[in-house]
Amino acid sequence: MIGNFFDQFWSLTFGGLSLGFIYILIALGYTLVYGVLRMINFANSEIFMVGTFATVIVVRDLFKFTQSSEYATGFRLWFILGVALIITMSVSGLLSVVVELVAYRRLRRRNSGVLAPLISAIGVSMVLAESVRIMTDSRPVASPRAMEKKFLGEFFDAGIRLDNTIIVVAALVLFFILWSFINRTRLGKAIRAVSMNPSAAKLMGIDIDKIVSATFLIGGVLTGAAGFFYVLKYENTGSSIGFELGIAAFTAAIIGGIGNIKGAFFGGLALGLLETYASFFLGTQWKAVTVFIVLVLVLYTKPSGLFGESITRTRV
Amino acid sequence: MNKKIQRSLAVVSAVALVFGVASASTAQAAKQKGKVIYLAFQGPLTGEEAQVGQDEVAGVEYAIKLFNKKYKKKYVVSLVKADDQGSPAEAAKVAPGIASNAKIIGLIGAAYSGATIASLPFYKQRNLPMVSPSATRVSITDPASEGGAMGFPVFHRVVVTDKVQGPSLFKLATKGVSTPKVFIIDDQSAYGVGLVDYMKPGIPAGQSVGFDSVSDKTTDWSATIAKVKTAGANVVIYTGYFPQAAPLFKQLRDSGYTGILAGGDGVLSPTLPTLAPASVLEGVRLTAGTVPLAEISAKLEADFKKKMGKASGVYAAESIDAANVFLSCVAKGVSTRDAMLKCVKTYKGKSLAGATIKFDINGDVAGGTMNGFEVRSGVIKFTGPIK
Repeated sequence: MIGNFFDQFWSLTFGGLSLGFIYILIALGYTLVYGVLRMINFANSEIFMVGTFATVIVVRDLFKFTQSSEYATGFRLWFILGVALIITMSVSGLLSVVVELVAYRRLRRRNSGVLAPLISAIGVSMVLAESVRIMTDSRPVASPRAMEKKFLGEFFDAGIRLDNTIIVVAALVLFFILWSFINRTRLGKAIRAVSMNPSAAKLMGIDIDKIVSATFLIGGVLTGAAGFFYVLKYENTGSSIGFELGIAAFTAAIIGGIGNIKGAFFGGLALGLLETYASFFLGTQWKAVTVFIVLVLVLYTKPSGLFGESITRTRV
Repeated sequence: MNKKIQRSLAVVSAVALVFGVASASTAQAAKQKGKVIYLAFQGPLTGEEAQVGQDEVAGVEYAIKLFNKKYKKKYVVSLVKADDQGSPAEAAKVAPGIASNAKIIGLIGAAYSGATIASLPFYKQRNLPMVSPSATRVSITDPASEGGAMGFPVFHRVVVTDKVQGPSLFKLATKGVSTPKVFIIDDQSAYGVGLVDYMKPGIPAGQSVGFDSVSDKTTDWSATIAKVKTAGANVVIYTGYFPQAAPLFKQLRDSGYTGILAGGDGVLSPTLPTLAPASVLEGVRLTAGTVPLAEISAKLEADFKKKMGKASGVYAAESIDAANVFLSCVAKGVSTRDAMLKCVKTYKGKSLAGATIKFDINGDVAGGTMNGFEVRSGVIKFTGPIK
């Protein structure tokens, strides 16, 4: 088994990496909102699910691809991918802002505490999942293939596939854009200020509502990007996909230390690789068990996650 | 339509029959002055598996249409449809209503094995004869299973079981391969694990190179694919259902796997070609105990299309066969459940495809074949019986 593992090490690693980067983007959606509001946005998983459908609709209905279409190449391919990515990010971003307005804002203004918004977010999440389930008749939906999944080259006998490469590179770019946005811009500074001390930030003249909306928008946009990459890699989706991926990404955020951008990054990567290796070694049926054993071990030794700081010092 | 509403409509219509409220078809029936006989169909009419049930019910309705035309003056058969969504939990909700409606003297179904098993206690209690077109799980009719054949005495089926399908699937998958190295993946469901269990004893030494058991919630198959590659397999068999088969086949092909892909009747769905590119599915081999109507005769398919307004689907022929078992008994004057059960037990007739249909004591059909299919240019083609 060990020998076999080394034979397959790099191809497992490449697969795990691209899955990990999808987790990172969803985990960022959870972590950003947590950093600002100290609340878990349980609707984030469904924002991802809606994003996957947005991509499918763009590819299938806007660009009219079918399962027997020729693959797009050259400029047309990049144009299609670009349009699909931008539309998906916009749809998820806007949905995320709407979720904040519906599930959080009014409750927050009335100081309803932590539990009421939690349950209203779960409610919104159920409404979204069930609506899509009814619209799709509970059936899985596949995205026609627009891009040929060709191998770019080999690395120790493991093929490097185009879609995995795009996901890793694009997700890294998005991550660094976010990183410099939070650390270098005025709005980023305001988000950090609200995250550290909302009352003081308000006294300094920061419009909290605006900052919260902006945070949900950014979180939704990144989660939407994850939806696009997911469809690019797996080419199928369904109404229950949000729950499955959402739980995984939430776990990644917790492992890394929720509320911390760096934590989401390493938590996502760790989870993607861990899931893939565990499935190979122990069998796919042990994947979830392994992940949660690791989660418990991490929390046992570092209760706030790998990169987590104590709540009062948490930085977005 | 909302599923809950649809389900409650089904219940309401069943209730309406109990209280003798005339439905549209019975009003029409009264005009024709024949004796009204009620049969029922049970299967998934809504939900993820709806297409299977809708295709089967069309077959049943086709058979009834022909019968009512032939016996215009004498009998009028009316069909009650029960929607179990293919799930045992739903089946346990609709079965009591059907069982307690004494006017229904025969049930075509249930379409799925799990739903059949959940419904059986109610039908056995009320002695309602069943003939299923597609429930293939062995234990329903297996006297060796715990507690004996659970379907006895009411259950019958016109398809062969997974005991036949398992070895046939292996045979079809390895056909024409000089040194088969077979990797088998199940979906952890009773159906998938069972199919592998029936396959195992017949696998020649050295031809099996690995097994994996993967939850039907899996979306990323890279670990399984790594195992397939390490094992050096040139044949991969998946014993699960089409929603997972499509991504598995895609990811296998995308990883550079060029060997044979095969699956059982769970993968054989008209939806399959919409879930993966035609180039990925090209050459996928499938088995099922069904024969497409068009393969039996083009004229039959044309007539079906004309009368039902849509092309026939999977298990259409078997649904017609199952309905015909009951209808031939009705033609003999049977009008009670007891008489119907007796008549079905001693039934001997021909299937549409020409095989003999008669049932052994536990309800299994004598004869019957397992058929092969292959995907060509995004279309599932019938390739004939597996011998």
